[in-house]
Order: sequence, then C-alpha cells, then structure tokens
Amino acid sequence: MTKMNEKSLNQSLAQWKLFVYNLTTGEFLGRTASSWGLILLFYLVFYGFLAALFSFTMWVMLQTLNDEVPKYRDQIPSPGLNGFSKTSDWYIEDLKKFLKPYTLEEQKNLTVCPDGALSEQKGPVYVACQFPISLLQACSGMNDPDFGYSQGNSCILVKMNRIIGLKPEGVPRIQCVSKNENMPNVAFYPHNGIIDLKYFPYYGKKLHVGYLQPLVTVQVSFAPNDTGKEVTVEAMFKITACA
Amino acid sequence: MCFPLTTSWRAFHQTPEIYSVELSGTKDIVKTDKGDGKEKYRGLKNNCLELKKKNHTEEFQKELHLDDHKLSNRELEKKYGTDIITGLSSTRAAELLARDGPNSLTPPKQTPEIVKFLKQMVGGFSVLLWVGAFLCWIAFGIEYSSNKSASLNNVYLGSVLVLVVIFTGIFAYYQEAKSTNIMSSFKKMIPQQALVIRDSEKKTIPSEHLVVGDIVEVKGGDQIPADIRVLSSQGCRVDNSSLTGESEPQPRSSEFTHENPLETKNICFYSTTCLEGTVTGMVINTGDRTIIGHIASLASGVGNEKTPIAIEIEHFVHIVAGVAVSIGILFFIIAVSMNYRVLDSIIFLIGIIVANVPEGLLATVTVTLSLTAKRMAKKNCLVKNLEAVETLGSTSIICSDKTGTLTQNRMTVAHLWFDNQIFVADTSENHSNQVFDQSSRTWASLSKIITLCNRAEFKPGQENVPIMKKAVIGDASETALLKFSEVILGDVMAIRKRNRKVAEIPFNSTNKFQLSIHETDDPHDKRFLMVMKGAPERILEKCNTIMINGEEHPLDESTAKAFHTAYMELGGLGERVLGFCHLYLPAHEFPETYKFDTDAMNFPTSNLCFVGLLSMIDPPRSTVPDAVTKCRSAGIKVIMVTGDHPITAKAIAKSVGIISANSETVEDIARRLSIAVEQVNKWDAKAAVVTGMELKDMSSEQVDEILANYQEIVFARTSPQQKLIIVEGCQRQDAVVAVTGDGVNDSPALKKADIGVAMGIAGSDAAKNAADMVLLDDNFASIVTGVEEGRLIFDNLKKTIAYTLTKNIAELCPFLIYIIVGLPLPIGTITILFIDLGTDIIPSIALAYEKAESDIMNRKPRHKKKDRLVNQPLAVYSYLHIGLMQALGAFLVYFTVYAQEGFLPRTLINLRVEWEKDFVNDLEDSYGQEWTRYQRAYLEWTGYTAFFVGILVQQIADLIIRKTRRNSIFQQGAFRNKVIWVGIASQIIIGLVLSYGLGSVTALSFTMLRAQYWFVAVPHAILIWVYDEVRKLFIRLYPGSWWDKNMYY
Repeated sequence: MTKMNEKSLNQSLAQWKLFVYNLTTGEFLGRTASSWGLILLFYLVFYGFLAALFSFTMWVMLQTLNDEVPKYRDQIPSPGLNGFSKTSDWYIEDLKKFLKPYTLEEQKNLTVCPDGALSEQKGPVYVACQFPISLLQACSGMNDPDFGYSQGNSCILVKMNRIIGLKPEGVPRIQCVSKNENMPNVAFYPHNGIIDLKYFPYYGKKLHVGYLQPLVTVQVSFAPNDTGKEVTVEAMFKITACA
Repeated sequence: MCFPLTTSWRAFHQTPEIYSVELSGTKDIVKTDKGDGKEKYRGLKNNCLELKKKNHTEEFQKELHLDDHKLSNRELEKKYGTDIITGLSSTRAAELLARDGPNSLTPPKQTPEIVKFLKQMVGGFSVLLWVGAFLCWIAFGIEYSSNKSASLNNVYLGSVLVLVVIFTGIFAYYQEAKSTNIMSSFKKMIPQQALVIRDSEKKTIPSEHLVVGDIVEVKGGDQIPADIRVLSSQGCRVDNSSLTGESEPQPRSSEFTHENPLETKNICFYSTTCLEGTVTGMVINTGDRTIIGHIASLASGVGNEKTPIAIEIEHFVHIVAGVAVSIGILFFIIAVSMNYRVLDSIIFLIGIIVANVPEGLLATVTVTLSLTAKRMAKKNCLVKNLEAVETLGSTSIICSDKTGTLTQNRMTVAHLWFDNQIFVADTSENHSNQVFDQSSRTWASLSKIITLCNRAEFKPGQENVPIMKKAVIGDASETALLKFSEVILGDVMAIRKRNRKVAEIPFNSTNKFQLSIHETDDPHDKRFLMVMKGAPERILEKCNTIMINGEEHPLDESTAKAFHTAYMELGGLGERVLGFCHLYLPAHEFPETYKFDTDAMNFPTSNLCFVGLLSMIDPPRSTVPDAVTKCRSAGIKVIMVTGDHPITAKAIAKSVGIISANSETVEDIARRLSIAVEQVNKWDAKAAVVTGMELKDMSSEQVDEILANYQEIVFARTSPQQKLIIVEGCQRQDAVVAVTGDGVNDSPALKKADIGVAMGIAGSDAAKNAADMVLLDDNFASIVTGVEEGRLIFDNLKKTIAYTLTKNIAELCPFLIYIIVGLPLPIGTITILFIDLGTDIIPSIALAYEKAESDIMNRKPRHKKKDRLVNQPLAVYSYLHIGLMQALGAFLVYFTVYAQEGFLPRTLINLRVEWEKDFVNDLEDSYGQEWTRYQRAYLEWTGYTAFFVGILVQQIADLIIRKTRRNSIFQQGAFRNKVIWVGIASQIIIGLVLSYGLGSVTALSFTMLRAQYWFVAVPHAILIWVYDEVRKLFIRLYPGSWWDKNMYY
C-alpha cells in the first residue's frame, strides 16, 4: 500500500510540476505566454471598465448630496452626551486641549448672542455664538489647572453632541442623579446645568464656521469620610430635537 | 425469492428478504458454462484473485466440496441424522435451528442511523464551520480572560454557526432518510411456507424455520425453500433463470448426473421455482449457506463505488474550502502584519470563512437531487440512492442483461413454417397483430395440433385478465403455444373439450416428443386424431408424408431439403424450433371403444403426416430497439451481457439494435468470405460475440482491447463473476458503467457498476437490493428517461452552484476592504447567513426546474475526469466577473446610505478604529455632527441591510442569467420556468420581512431601510444581465474561440 501511495505521490508531484511549467508546450500554470497575455489584457480592459463604471455611479450618487447638510438625519434623533473626566481615559492634558478653542483669544471673532433665544439664521453667512469659558467657573481650568482633581473636587465635563438643525424645546439642562444613597455634593457650571438656547441650532461644519458647542461642567465634591467609596452618578437631560 | 413463470404473477410474490452479502470473492459458485471443469475453475480463480478479496476460504472449500449429490439416500440420512420417511424430530429440528439460525438471507449490514447522522454533521463544509465556531468561542475566551465584560457577540456567532451545521445536517439526513423509505415499501413481508415431514407427519411451517436434514415436498408453482437434494420427483422442472439466466426450464430428478453440483439434476437451489411436477427432497443448506446466499454475499464483497456526483461535489467542496482557507490565512497574515490584534485577526478569519462557504448549497443540492428523484419515480425510475440520480446522465456504457431486461422473459411464438413458407408471428407484448396467412388448410391442421398436443392450462379465475397476462400452469414453450392459439383461435379449453383426449404421452428427454390422441369434433368422423410435437428432426423421422396446402404429399428429398433449410434458418435466429405432425387413425383399426395403452404403444408412431414447424423465442420488449437507438445517439455504448447461449444472444442483440443491421462479427465475415475464422483480421469486424469460455482465458489487457475496439459487443454464457470482470473492464476505460439486470446472477455486477439498475417487476430482491435504481415498469426505455434527467440535473446543478458561488465574492469583499481600507464593516456575519440560508435557498432550488437548453440526448456523455461539475471557467466567471460586479453594486448601496446619513466615502476610510471604540461617543462625520457609539452601531446595521439589499437585488439578476449557459434568456423563455419567479418573489419577500418586519430586533442587526435604497443597485443588476447576454452571444457566435473556451462554464 505504501508503495502505491508513494507512486501516486510522485505522480501527482510530477503532474504538479508539469502544470507549473510544461517544457513541451511552453505552458506556465496551464497557459502559454500569449494566452496569459490575452487573459491579462482582457482583465485589464474588463476591470478598467468596471472601475470606471463604479467611479461614475459613485459620482452620480455624490451629486445627490448637499455639501452643507446631510440628506438624512434620522439616525441621530437626539444628541449624545459626553462626560469627560479623568476616569474615562481623559486626562487633564486632554481636557486642556479640548478647552483650547474656548479661550477668550480664540473666541474673539465670534458673536455675542442674546441669551435665552434660539439663534436661527438665514445665511448666507452664519455666525457662531461665543461661549465664554468663564461660565465654567471653578472648572474652567483658569484658576485650577488640575480641574479640582488634586483636591477631590473632580470636574466632569459634559458636552452635547453637535447635530445639524437641532432645536431644543424648553430649556435644556443637565441633571445628575446619584445611584447611590448618599448624594455627594454636586455643583453645576453654568448655574443649574442650563444650556442656553442661543447655541442652537447648528448649521454644519461648512456654513457654521467657528461654532462652539455649549459645555456643562459638574463638580463633584466628596466629603472626606467618603473617600474610597465608589459613587455612580448619572447625567440626564431632556431635549427635543426639531430639524 | 421466487421466480414464477409469468410476469403478472411475479409482482405479487416478491419476498421480503434483503440479502446480504459478505462473501468471499474467492468463490466461483455459479457456473453456467456447460462442459467442464477443472480448467474453468482455474481461469475463474485467477479472476477472483484479481478481485482482491479476502478470506472466507473456508466457505470456499466447503462450496467446492459439496458432494451431497453423489451420496446415496442412506449416506445422506447418516450425514444429516435424519430419516427419509419420518423426517427429523421436532426437538432435533429446534436444536438445528438454534445452531444454524433461520433459513433466510441475512440482510445487509445497515449503517447505524447515528453514524449516518454524524456523517452529515462533519461532511462537506461542516468542518470549516465547526472550526469557525470554535475560533469564535476561543476568541471570546481570550477576551473574557482579560476583560470580564467582554461582549457576547462571538459566543452568539459561534452558536449560530453550530446551529447552521446542525440544521443543515438534520436536513440532509432527513432528505436521505426519506428517499430510503421509498425503498422499504418494496420489502413487504409475505412469509413463505414449506411442507415438511417432521415426526412422521406432514406439517406446513414457515420456510424460515427449515433446517438441514428436513424432508420437504415442493409442488409446481412453489419456490424451492432451501438448497435441497432431490430424493424423488415426478415430472419436476425448475426455472433456474435467476441463477443462470437460462429461460429454459431444467428437469430435476433423483439421479446423480454430473460431478459439478450446479450441473447435476438432483439438486434444487434455494429461491428458484418449481414450475411443474412435484419433488421431495432433503434440505442440505439453509440461509446464507445456500448457493444463492453465496452469490448474494459476492455482491456485498464488491465495494460501493463513489457516485460521480459525489466525486464532483467533493471536488467542489475542496475548491471552495481551499479558496476559503487560503484567503482566510492570507488575510490573517496581512491583518497581523498590519498590527491588528491577533484576536481581531481571528475574528476576520471567521468572517472570511463564513463569507466564503456557501452554507446552504449542499442542502440545496440534496433537495435538487430529491426533486429529480421524485420526477424520475413518476416516470417509473425509482432511485434508491439520491446521488445516483445524476450517475445515469454521465453513463457512457450500459451493460444490459438480456433475459427479462431486453426481452420479455417469456417464450413466444416467433415464426411458423408450413406450405414451404416461413411466416412471421407477432411477438409484441400483446400479440394483437397476427398477420400471417391463416386461410391455408395446413394452418387449420397445424393449429389443431398446437391446441391439442399441449398440457398447459390457464389458471382458473382469470376471465377478465388479458390473454397475454393470464397465469398458466405449464412450462415456457407450452405456455407460449397455449397463448398463441388462444389469441388466434379463441377459447382453447372449449376446443380441447370438443376433442376429448383419450391418451397421452408427455414430453420426456429420451423420446423428445409429446403425443396425444383425441376424438375429433366432427360427429360424423369416428376416427381418432393422433397429434405429436417434438424436436423437428425426430418428428420428421416419423413422417412419410407432408401436408402442403391441405394436401398430403409424399415426403421426398426436395421437401426434406426445404424442411432443413427452414429449420436451420429458424435455428440460426436463436429460436427454439418444434416440429408438428398428425395422423388420423383409421376407424376400422381403431374403433371408438379401442383402449389405447401408452406403455405398450398399441398405436402407430411412424409414417405420420408432417404438418409444419413453429419456432419460439423470448422476444425483445417492443420499446427496447428505440431505446437502444436513443442511447446510441446519446453516445452511450450498449453491451449485452447474458448467461444465455451466444446464438440466441446474438439474435436478440440484432433484433434490438445492440448489433446494428449492417455490422458483422468475425464469424460473419468468415462465413461471407468462406474463409477460416482465424484468417479474418479481427479488427475488420465492428461487432463481437464473446462467450464466457473465451472470456475466462483472457487477460485483463485482452478484455480491455475488446471493450475498446469493438463498438458492438455481446457477452454470452457468462457467469456472475465474469459479469463483474466485464464491468471492471469497462471502468478501466474510464467509463461510467450502468448495469441492468434482474437475476440474482446479476447482483454482483449491479453492485460493482457505477449505477446498477434492477427491474422492479421481474427483478429478484437480490438484484433490487444491489441496485441503485429500480425500473418499476421493467422497461429498458425508462433508462433513456433516466439518462435525460441525469444529464439535465448535472447541467442544472452547475447553474445552481454558479448562482451560489457568485455572491460569495460580494460577501467576502466587505471583509477584505474592512481589513485593508478600514471602512466600518459593510456586512455582518449574521447577515451573510441570512443570505446564504434565507433569500438564496429557494432561487437556487428553482434552477433545478430549468428545462434543458439544447437536445441533451444528442451529445456525448460527459467525461468523468474532464467535464467537471465545477470547472475553472465556472469558478472564474462566478468569482471574478459576476461576483465582482455584484460586490461593486452592493458597495454602491452601502456608500450611498453612509453618504446620505453624513459620512462621505473619503471620511469612511480608516475610520474603523475610532468607529469601533466603545467609549467614543462623539465621532464626527463629514458635516461636523457627532455620533454616539449606539448611533454608529445603528448606522452600521443600516449599512448591513443596505449591503444585503444590494446583493439581493443583484442576485435576482444573477438568477435570471443562470437560467441558461449558452442560449439567450429569450431563446429559453423567460417565463417558462415558473419556479424561478417563485424564487424571485421569495427573495424579495424574505428581504422585506427581514428589513421591515424584523428590523426592530437588534440581535438580527437589520434596520428599516428607506425604500429608494432598494433601487440603487438596479443599474448594476441590469448591467450583469446585459454582460451575460453579451457573453452568451459571443459563445454562440464564435464556438471554439478563445471567448468560448474561457467564458463557457
């Protein structure tokens, strides 16, 4: 049996070699040079055509789009909230970096908008409202470069995701609910965690140059005897989007 | 088993046993060759060695030393411890029964159901999917060990893969079990009874309870219940055709007449039938130890060959699995070298495997095959083994048995000779059209002899049965004569009544004639009529006159010469010739009261008047010549392999067209040129008749030479072993061999063949058991139907596979792009499974209903090594042409959805890492909006749904183009196959249900897609269709061109 196996192995090896390169017919991998040339030419033309076709259809598809506003916004009906604190892989450095566009210097070209009203605009030029970083008070990083982390009064920065055309109904505000029984001391900046309506709506990256999204910081102060306890705080806010 | 004489009777007497069969191949049990002996064994033994079979030498020895036929009654009694008069005692019989087991053939070993089931679980692609599932779980395990809150997605995916394997496995198992069940309806139990002497009493017991030493009595019409040694008999004749293929009844008596147990007259074999007379005998072998048991086991010693379609599917699985594994590993390496984590790379690997494996395909193939099997069953081809459905289509040689398959297996009057003329009788199945001249008065006399000199009678109670189907008591030739006269003259029994029989000498082998004396039906004619029939030369000897045109003429040399010419001519047709003569006994010598004494022979038996000759043959079935022609035009070689005599075999071969009218054998050429056979160049002949005697001296090279060089071959006087050798010879020519047969002697060859076809009505159980297919109507022509269906299913399977493979590329590309370009994943693994096992299933089955594109019966059978099911053009065209176009179309839908939601294509590039970070909840899109993780996931699912819809829409186009491989859709008729449209409807409905019905079930990751996205891929779908029409157009325009070679699959 083994002899037979060896024989068939040798045979298949020889067949394989013959397939790779056949001296008599000059075939390489079952095709002659001209045959390979022809088939490669065919695929060059065929794939060239397919590539052109795909590019054309993609181009047609892109023509249906608007540069300024995406066609649909149904998949982001409500903005997400993002809390940045030291615990969620964000470091003080990152916070500083994030807050850089909010410095007075950066905002000097922005408009000072009236409080408490939506700043709806008709274009063609869209202005962005100032968000003075001083509103964040103790968490602005201006007085305390550590954002309170060194003193146990950690600042958590909460921002609302940008969504084009979103107009809140009522007054959007950030609230915190503790999941634990004892509520730590929580301070909101700006006051009561209210986000002013003047920052809505957002008109998109292209039109709304320099737009700054409103921020809220939550400062959690733990009583000294509470240290070591884990406190879970859930941020909530209510907002209704209108495109 | 029983093999009664008339076919109508057979149907009701199939016995239940299935055979088994574990026999030594080293045995040559049945030899039909006359002449003897030692040399024959030598040749066969050599052949046996070639068969490479094992041991069982012990049984072999025993077989050869069967010497019971040589023993005297006394010795037999001693050997088996029995008594011929009183039989065995019940207690002794019970002991023997306990020792030897029941007198029945052991059914073949069934594969245990659980093994069959497990085979389905690991066969085909299942192994790949198991690997995928385990990789999923391992990936989860690794992730879990480092991060306790690892997502359970991989566990789900692994479980889904296992479910898919189990589900498809159960499905395939169920399909197979269902098709096996069709067969079991054959095995209705009709217990056989045997009359046995035990404890000095005659008892009827089930024949299963017989033991060696039992004394049994068998009468005409009964099946021989075991191998018995004849102790006494009265006019017993048995039908051995199931063993030897001879349709002539064999006499049986208690004399020891031949050394060879198979040739001697004093042994009757199990499962043969006693046609007439009675016989008392001693049981010498029971159950598997009988001759028939040994043949049956010879069949099981023959390994089951893999069916061609099984080989093709295996080939296909290898290709796909090879592609899947190599792409998987390639991209695993790429992913690792692109600094992906190994864990992620494993997940990619799983995705690639799942995308590449057509999970639903094997189940679809099973369904397709069973649909065809059902269609064939409607046309009287019952398929036992699903895969055999296709085998007939690739058949290139049919080895057909003669008796019962090509012929009707009943002797029938074929020719008559009277008035110096040969007349042809109608031998078709119903005899309806007897056109020869019946006005001659000679015919009147001849018909009287035929009617009166005949002991055969119809069984009572068959008034409404057509004459040809009536059951008859009597041997084959008498039956033929009885039916012949009944058809022409009407009520034979009434004629016999009017011509009362006064004396009779039945046929015996020493006299070689049969004689009876009757009163005439003319009341004024007081003479007695003596009628006689027998071997023509013996009858002629007894005559001195001959009747021509009703007148008696002296028998002179010229008339004798005419007789001989006619006799030779009819004999040369392979027909059995009988002579008929009569004599009116003078009234004065034999008055009414005369007492005839058949022992003293007190009446003249010479100087009679010769009336005519009549010849009989087992005629071909009327549908056979046409079927043979069709096989020819389909490129199939039909070879006759029979146990019967060469002359008869050749005559039948000529009449059905196996040897065509203008081709000659070596012998024919020799006769035509009047030279010795040796002088003829043997390759001048187109046809050959080879006998078993010649065959046994041939080496396998010589057999190959004959098979390769002659177009038309008849093998005569072959043993079961030689049939096996012939089949193997054909298989060495790389032919796919079909064997048809009905007898036990055919069963080893049926088993060995690529496809064995047994006759459903006339076939023995052994044959049916060994066969893969049963022709319910015994009609050779049904084979042609089978060939056609087989070829069609092969073509249609190609289409199904091409259809299924196409979308694999569209499923695979997303993963590759995802890994390399870093787009958010375009299609999920679960979604892929919904295509493979959901939307694509019904359409791919629908292709099985496609009609043939051209006349598939006019092309050569496929070459089993060259014309593959999945060939290179098929794979290349499906993967690299249509598949790629499909992938592009689906990507277009995907990009459209993302772009219209805010992510432009350029933003998507390399977005993957950020996109998949769970804590990034403010990912910015192209318009400055920010997306949370959940919002992105939902968009990703919408992308899956979009990609899914893109594939779905283009698969509709793919389905339409796969209807044909060469013809335009318009030539084929776009609406002829309604099932295709059912398939398309099912695709769309399943798609709608998944998107809109189940869009809210998060685990399925489908979302409600905007209606317009369904139309994004439509231009691509149309392009696919146009491209394929162009491909087909060029194939039709330039056959044999570069395009044809590379683009026709």
